[in-house]
Amino acid sequence: MIFIAILIGCILGAILGLNAPMISYTYSSYLAIAIIAALDSVFGGIASVIKKNFDLKIFISGFFGNAILAILLTILGQKLNVDIYLAAIVVFVWRMFMNLGTIRRYYVEKWSEIIKKKASEKSKNRKEEETAKVEEK
Amino acid sequence: MIEKMKKGKIAMTITIGIACFALVTVMMMQFKVVNETDITAIEDMQESELKTELANWKTRYEEIDAQYQETTQRIEEYKNDEASNNEASRLVQEELEQTNTLLGLTDVHGEGIVITLKSGSDAAAISADDLLIIVNALKFAGAEAISINDERIINTTDIVDILDGSFIKVNGQRILEPYVIKVIGNQSHLESSVTGNGGKVEELQTLGHTATIEKDNDITIGKYNGEIETKYIE
Repeated sequence: MIFIAILIGCILGAILGLNAPMISYTYSSYLAIAIIAALDSVFGGIASVIKKNFDLKIFISGFFGNAILAILLTILGQKLNVDIYLAAIVVFVWRMFMNLGTIRRYYVEKWSEIIKKKASEKSKNRKEEETAKVEEK
Repeated sequence: MIEKMKKGKIAMTITIGIACFALVTVMMMQFKVVNETDITAIEDMQESELKTELANWKTRYEEIDAQYQETTQRIEEYKNDEASNNEASRLVQEELEQTNTLLGLTDVHGEGIVITLKSGSDAAAISADDLLIIVNALKFAGAEAISINDERIINTTDIVDILDGSFIKVNGQRILEPYVIKVIGNQSHLESSVTGNGGKVEELQTLGHTATIEKDNDITIGKYNGEIETKYIE
């Protein structure tokens, strides 16, 4: 269900984004860092859904707060002539990998559990068959 | 309890959907900007490289600006030259006109006298020598332009008797009586040069020829109609 929501959101966003007016190149570096922050928030949200500790308020505040903070840091970095946005990117990408790891582990575990279940069912069946054979003899 | 959880799940799904929507919208906008802008060339350069590049462009700009200034200056010079050339050609033209006037290659008009000569019946016909003497006297009196029967007298003009005085040629053209001599110059000087004691016109009159002198304030004398050719002048 959550994947359908993500898919619909992505498609609608792509349509709107492609038809949106051009923005100045000057602001594109701020936009880029905001995109990284938002991407991190979305992965964080999916991970928290899987962990079953999803909080709407935290998600929304994180989504916008991180993006705005990243933009402000970039502006500050430009004013100070220090590439602060690199630090922000490192943190966001690191967290993205962490969240992705959580998601992956969840699904891998789920999948392996299913396989185990099937295997155990099979072995159970076989055992039953064997006992049946023995009883027949 | 179950309903509450469901509500929470729906809200969660919608929120994530909206977040994805916003995220992808901004991403697409960014993609478009990056696609449209040729940033790679600029972005790959170091600041020092950019500085050198900028300095190069500045130098080139200065060079071209200097060239431009030079060209403008040259154009100005050419314009001045052209103006002075015009002045020179105007002067040359003036001189040419003056020379032509003096040579008798233009029509001229001005005050002067008209002498009409007709041979008398009982005397020898007026000869070329008589005309020559008159013309000479008129020139001495400061005649500026002379013509005999509309043949302009110029520096190469000949006045000769042909066939033992049966007719006269001026400028190689046969002229017939009456001879009309038009002269431009000071009227009283011209008149006195051919009249009075020793005046050729008066002499002719005494010989029985008809000779009249008229003063005219606007005589028009036509230009020399032939061509002035030089073969031996080098």
